[in-house]
Amino acid sequence: MPASPQNKPIPRKVSRSGERDVHIIWNDGHESLFEACFLRLQCPCASCVDEMTGQRVLQDEQVSNTVSPKSVELVGRYAIRVWWDDGHSSGIYTFEFLRGLCSCVSCRPN
Amino acid sequence: MKEAEKVAILGVLKSVQDPDLRRDIVSLGFVKDIKVCGAAASVTIELTTPACPVKDQLKEQARQAILSLPQFEQVDVHMTAQVRSTMNQKAAALLPEVKNVVPVASGKGGVGKSTVSANLALALARTGASVGLMDADVYGPSIPTLMGIAEQPVMGPNKQMIPVNRYGVKVISMGFFLPQEKAVIWRGPMLDKMISQFLGGVQWGSLDYLIIDLPPGTGDIQLSLCQKISLTGAVVVSTPQDVALNVAQKAIAMFNQLNCPILGMVENMSYYTCPHCGERDDIFGSGGTRRLADQLETPYLGEIPLSTSIRVQSDEGKPIVLADPESQQAEAFQSVAENMAAQISIKNMSGQVEQEIQISF
Repeated sequence: MPASPQNKPIPRKVSRSGERDVHIIWNDGHESLFEACFLRLQCPCASCVDEMTGQRVLQDEQVSNTVSPKSVELVGRYAIRVWWDDGHSSGIYTFEFLRGLCSCVSCRPN
Repeated sequence: MKEAEKVAILGVLKSVQDPDLRRDIVSLGFVKDIKVCGAAASVTIELTTPACPVKDQLKEQARQAILSLPQFEQVDVHMTAQVRSTMNQKAAALLPEVKNVVPVASGKGGVGKSTVSANLALALARTGASVGLMDADVYGPSIPTLMGIAEQPVMGPNKQMIPVNRYGVKVISMGFFLPQEKAVIWRGPMLDKMISQFLGGVQWGSLDYLIIDLPPGTGDIQLSLCQKISLTGAVVVSTPQDVALNVAQKAIAMFNQLNCPILGMVENMSYYTCPHCGERDDIFGSGGTRRLADQLETPYLGEIPLSTSIRVQSDEGKPIVLADPESQQAEAFQSVAENMAAQISIKNMSGQVEQEIQISF
């Protein structure tokens, strides 16, 4: 296990796309586009995911499909925190987690 | 004519390599202010840290290189340093004038983090760097004892604490605010607040290095710190035994997960030299930390012996680096500090410090 974080996915730029979606350009040039509603539903915080089982507690119908990120903040060197307009802000989305969520054609060929 | 001589000097200085950065000092941009007057020449070499382990070597090589030019008989090489910042935009908001933040961590307790932190801070300060020392071990704050501080910090005009200046190092510790017989019994949110207070609520001023003495383990304080600012890189202290090394590996895993670079590992209580017969005894075994560092592809910064004088000086509040700078023990700390500073320079110069993450929302 090499100790350097060199080959880890790190965003270069995180920005709003359209009215409410989140666009990320990664350090390897890859680009990801996350629909706001999808990203909100993926919130990894302890009130949205059961800490012990890892099962999602947050239900689809609990999230409005017009939910929108109000602001995004960097957490140390490893994650971002999203402040949603439904008042939720406890999710810390690590870079690795976000990259794993990318659903573009090359990340999810099927 | 003079221009030609300056070009000649730059030409020969290209043969002087910085062994850590593996480039010559001219292309690194270290050579400043070349002056020529007849057969006399003077140059200034600006390093990226005053704690450069090869400072004297570079100075002598530069002098000899210029002397190899037939037109010069007298050469003056002046060494200076300008520490570069590794902080990102967010850290800059909390600690606007702090260039590098280095937490000293371990997995297991009792391996000598505080002793290493205090001596590292003093060793860096001895080289001329401006240094701060934050004692983030709220449960067992030992920096006040180690640094012999009895006074409390005062409040500055803008409601920021002014750190206690001791031996040229700016110090903040939870121990300043708590009577000896009282303990801190806090849950996570309070610890998080304390870290915020110790970062943004302290008038650190301009610092080349802020050393943070962490509590053992991988808990709230470590996590809070890694979330609030971009750390330059951690120094991980271990003793040579497996029981300590196995846990040190967990500390490294935590920093990896949080994308905090590891500057290197230090082996404390590495060996004992008998003061009577001079025989060396590897009480806890020796070299284990170097092996682990190699295995994890992490730099190894050096080893510190187990020694009565380190303990005595720590208890007296005047760490060995200050009390007896010529001693073998002090030299061990000095060398670890210089290796650490070199690692920061290497990260800085090789572009390993990641680019800014732009967030536009």
